[in-house]
Amino acid sequence: MDIHLYALSTCPYCRMTKRYLDDHGITYDLTEVDLLEGDEKQSAIDRVKELSGGTSFPVLVADGEVVVGFNKSKIAKIIGL
Amino acid sequence: MSDQQRAVRRVFAPDTTIDDLKAYMGPFAERLGYKFNTETDFVDEVLESEIEILEKDGDVFCPCRVRTGDFKEDYKIVCPCIPFFSDQFAALGKCWCGLFIRTDIEDGADLIGVMDEPEPGTDVDVPVCRLDDLAPGTARHVKIGKHDIAVVRVGDDIFALSNVCRHAFAPLAEGFVDGHALVCPWHGWRYDVRDGTTDHPNADVRTFSARVHKGEVLVTVALGRSR
Repeated sequence: MDIHLYALSTCPYCRMTKRYLDDHGITYDLTEVDLLEGDEKQSAIDRVKELSGGTSFPVLVADGEVVVGFNKSKIAKIIGL
Repeated sequence: MSDQQRAVRRVFAPDTTIDDLKAYMGPFAERLGYKFNTETDFVDEVLESEIEILEKDGDVFCPCRVRTGDFKEDYKIVCPCIPFFSDQFAALGKCWCGLFIRTDIEDGADLIGVMDEPEPGTDVDVPVCRLDDLAPGTARHVKIGKHDIAVVRVGDDIFALSNVCRHAFAPLAEGFVDGHALVCPWHGWRYDVRDGTTDHPNADVRTFSARVHKGEVLVTVALGRSR
């Protein structure tokens, strides 16, 4: 399953989500949007808006499903934990 | 970009601490009907992130929202950002992060992590001020989402109506209260705070349901979108 996590390096919910995925041995692609610059950053923000309808973090995408925030039960359901 | 342009805007004292932020933000949040989350470790974690952001970007931006670099957008996520999202937060019971929760919520643990936005259009009671901060016979302007509202206290009763006079768009809350009338500060048009009627034709204003709960003034609005 392809899992992509859009996060901010400063965001507590993002840290919790990463910890949760790491603790369960889940591999995922990570984009830390605030550490990007210029066009790369803007295109990541645009992607997050497109996926979630907003600019809240983290945004986790797994098999086309999107979870905003550290919503443990939703994440567990989508990735089958 | 020159070094000058890169300079961090500094509005807080150097070496601002978590305790400084708590002392500074707490009273403002309280006036808006919020308190720090009851999960104290979580509060410290969020504020620690805000200190990191302060050092890097010059202000205490929300750690859960992205800064765009456009100040016209970014000022809306300076913590506490409650005034900009007061209807959404009233429905969620917390701010985006969950750093602040509504004062009437006893346990904030369940609110941590969830960031689902409530459904637009549903009615929500939004805390706008404490009753003690609104003296009898006075009005104040509050902004909830796109609504500009005059909240009026007559005796112990609270009323809420559009803040915009239909005559020349004056801010009604800057006028004065005379019995159950809110009198426009510019040309003296009188609006009945109970139903928004005026004696001028086709010039009534909209009213909103308002009440007091545990010392807080609540105004009911239909939930808007956060963006």
